[in-house]
Amino acid sequence: MSDRFVSLQKLSLAYGQTEVVPELDLDIREGELIALLGPSGCGKTTTMRAIAGLMAPKTGKIFIDGTDVTRTPANKRGIGLVFQSYALFPHLSAFENVAFGLRLKKMDNLEVTSRVEHGLNTVGLAHLAARKPAEMSGGQQQRLSLSRSLVMEPKVLLLDEPLSNLDARLRLEMRTELQRLQRETGITMVFVTHDQAEALALADRIVLMKEGVIEQLGTADELYNKPASKFAADFFGFENIFAVSDAGIVGNKGSLAGTFEAQDGHLAWRPGAVVVGKGPYEGTVTGVAFAGEQREYVIEAALGQIKATTPATDKRYEIGDSVAFDLPLAGAWHLPEGRQGVLMAK
Amino acid sequence: MFQNNREGLALALPAAVFTALLFLLPVGILLSEAFRVDGQWSLQGYVDFAVKPLNQTVFLRTLKLGFLVASVSAVIGYASAFCIVNMDAKSRGRVFGLVVLPLMISPVARTYAWIVILGRTGIVNDAIVGLGLSDTPIRILFTETAVFLGLLQLFLPLMIISLVSAMENLPKDVIPAARVLGANWFQVFTKVILPLTKDGLVMGGTLVFTGSLTAYIPPAILGGSKVLMLETLLYQRVNVANDFVSAGIIATILIVMSFGANLLLKRIAAARK
Amino acid sequence: MTSKWTSRLIIGLTLTFLIGPFLIIILAGMSAGDFLAFPPDGLSLKWYIKVFTVESFQKSFALSMFLAVFGTLTALVLGVPAAYAISRYDIPFGETIKTVVAAPIIVPGIIVGLALLRYLVIPLGFTVTLALFLAHTALVLPYAVRVVLSSLNNLESDMEEAAVLLGCSRVGAFTRVVLPNIQGGVLAAFILGFVTSFNQVPVSLFLSGPGVRTLPIDMLSYMEITFDPSVAALSALLAFLSVVIVFVAEKFLGFSRYV
Ligand SMILES: Nc1ncnc2c1ncn2[C@@H]1O[C@H](COP(=O)(O)OP(=O)(O)OP(=O)(O)O)[C@@H](O)[C@H]1O
Ligand SMILES: [Mg+2]
Repeated sequence: MSDRFVSLQKLSLAYGQTEVVPELDLDIREGELIALLGPSGCGKTTTMRAIAGLMAPKTGKIFIDGTDVTRTPANKRGIGLVFQSYALFPHLSAFENVAFGLRLKKMDNLEVTSRVEHGLNTVGLAHLAARKPAEMSGGQQQRLSLSRSLVMEPKVLLLDEPLSNLDARLRLEMRTELQRLQRETGITMVFVTHDQAEALALADRIVLMKEGVIEQLGTADELYNKPASKFAADFFGFENIFAVSDAGIVGNKGSLAGTFEAQDGHLAWRPGAVVVGKGPYEGTVTGVAFAGEQREYVIEAALGQIKATTPATDKRYEIGDSVAFDLPLAGAWHLPEGRQGVLMAK
Repeated sequence: MFQNNREGLALALPAAVFTALLFLLPVGILLSEAFRVDGQWSLQGYVDFAVKPLNQTVFLRTLKLGFLVASVSAVIGYASAFCIVNMDAKSRGRVFGLVVLPLMISPVARTYAWIVILGRTGIVNDAIVGLGLSDTPIRILFTETAVFLGLLQLFLPLMIISLVSAMENLPKDVIPAARVLGANWFQVFTKVILPLTKDGLVMGGTLVFTGSLTAYIPPAILGGSKVLMLETLLYQRVNVANDFVSAGIIATILIVMSFGANLLLKRIAAARK
Repeated sequence: MTSKWTSRLIIGLTLTFLIGPFLIIILAGMSAGDFLAFPPDGLSLKWYIKVFTVESFQKSFALSMFLAVFGTLTALVLGVPAAYAISRYDIPFGETIKTVVAAPIIVPGIIVGLALLRYLVIPLGFTVTLALFLAHTALVLPYAVRVVLSSLNNLESDMEEAAVLLGCSRVGAFTRVVLPNIQGGVLAAFILGFVTSFNQVPVSLFLSGPGVRTLPIDMLSYMEITFDPSVAALSALLAFLSVVIVFVAEKFLGFSRYV
């Protein structure tokens, strides 16, 4: 198994004069399921299109399985891409959609039929082979599109926001389906998403991007628990992030002096780490929402807004109530300037 | 979007070059000839053209007929379009089809019918004589009225189509809403329908007006040499007198007026937003 | 329901004005007499039969058919790639190219015919037929581009990229994926172009020579000399032909949404 099955080297991508990705280095392992995660417009689709060969890089190189494919046209790269819009061929039946690429390979008819049948079976669409895409549901179209790419046995399968057009239930179903397919086929998969929960649930590794630059690359566990930057921390649910200097923290409204004995940089708390109901600080509840097992609060304090959650069984505060709270140093995520983040000792 | 724009240029260029070389270039040269008198650049041709009373009459008549046809078709167009959009889907499709159909039929055929209707022995004259309104048939053919009717029949469908599509895009229930708020039909029209469909009116108006200005067949068949319009005048100048300067001038006038009408109507529409 | 009857009356009058004259033409052509009249002097089909035997009508019909078919095909050969380029590429001078291709709609046709006669036929020795063919092609081109363009714009370009990733060449993606999905538009463009060209008069006014006349021009000059019902019969036949074409096109294509 190669560790650099797909290798992007000093890749720079632009649309005309608009530079989208300044310089990207990324190695993807053979057989892994990797997620490209980032806010809208950060260059995820662009990167994917470059890997597929639909867009020529300005500079840099792309290697796949050890071969430089930078100049290889898209139809010779052996890469599959599942489009966000599915891009099914409306004039062809489900069967012919899946057969499309195989027929271009001049495969004989029997072989095509057996492969397509197998392909449709894998995604549970064998019974709909004769239908046109317009006569299928969103989830079925999605699986058809997946199947069309899979039967080509691509070296790498790219998926652009594969789940974003599906409703919540189907999305969960397809997540499991994707994982199963990936495990069964062992195909290297790269999928784009801007949903952190999806990335965490599916991916072996996550590439967090911001404005065309990789912010952090690691396993789900690493990104979730050890975000390397303020941006990453924010993206993975540390909703209370404050600059820390001289043992005081600074919010957008004001500051709290005192007891935050940490090196200058940032301190971050998940809403669940904020103590509500007791503590040295005071604020006013400006929002409260019931979310099943817990209650979510927005507290307006001298510092600015604090987001907190408490178990639903705890005492309940109403909008307008004054409430005491604490930001316990022990358990806060600390991002010292220029160094790796650490969990503050309990 | 593909990135290789030179490839795109290569695909688009044949069409553009074809039109530019074989169409625009000859037309351009012809237009420029009107600015040359005895091999010199000059506006004398335009001056000579403008002072001739016949040319003035024809110019004004063309403008007048274009304006009349556009106005009348707007009135009929609104009434018809309003009825069409309020029909049930099935009859709406049928009626709309019947409105579009004439556009596909040869204008010569469409205009020729009026000779049968308006001629000395046509139905209109039969009726007039039969009813004793006049002892002898009256002349309708080869009058402005005949040309007007021919033009109106030719271009009315364009106005109706434009107005129907504008009215189909009216927000649902604005008309009942205005009625409930106390507006009478006239107010509904001026305060609700007109402002909301003016893009369609501009579109239809431009098509009908420029179409009437540059139409050849109705004035040729129904007007003859008695009721010349700019196009028939052009034809006559070239055929009778080999007068290419006048031809170039008339062509320029027609092009400028078509563009001008379009711009003007767009301005008016934009100003009332 | 008075408003319902008002509405029917308005539509009825409008349609009578638009369609009625054709009914009159059909009947006028059925006259048994020798002069155009309505109501006709007795009924017969002799004029409908006669028009098929008039030699100049035969010739001019053939020329008009030739121009309409080959002019429109040529316009599509030029126009489909141009529409494709406009919709899929960010071409340099794109706006200029679009304006140039659309220009023939704005230029009065009579000028076009005259210009081609003066600068292509007389000095360069183009035949009148060739000049007619070029003029009709250029005239149909804007319609072809417009109709095909609107079909292309309704088709996602993702699909072509998907085809390329499945192994198609760019040309292959066009023929296998784009063309099958815009064929309705291309056919509609052909019909619209055909009708436009066939019915075209002003462009052909000056472009006629001995034995070279399009059908509408031939009809115009025939009616100047002769006052028999044959032009009425021919008009009725042409109208009938258009009705059939449009009806079939509407049935199979939903033609009116492309016009
Ligand atoms: N064809 C184009 N021409 C010019 N700029 C473009 C084009 N396509 C994308 N961009 C720009 O490039 C940047 C990155 O776009 P990209 O589609 O890669 O974002 P993304 O990360 O996939 O976002 P999303 O999550 O919204 O899909 C954006 O700022 C976008 O505006
Ligand atoms: Mg994207």
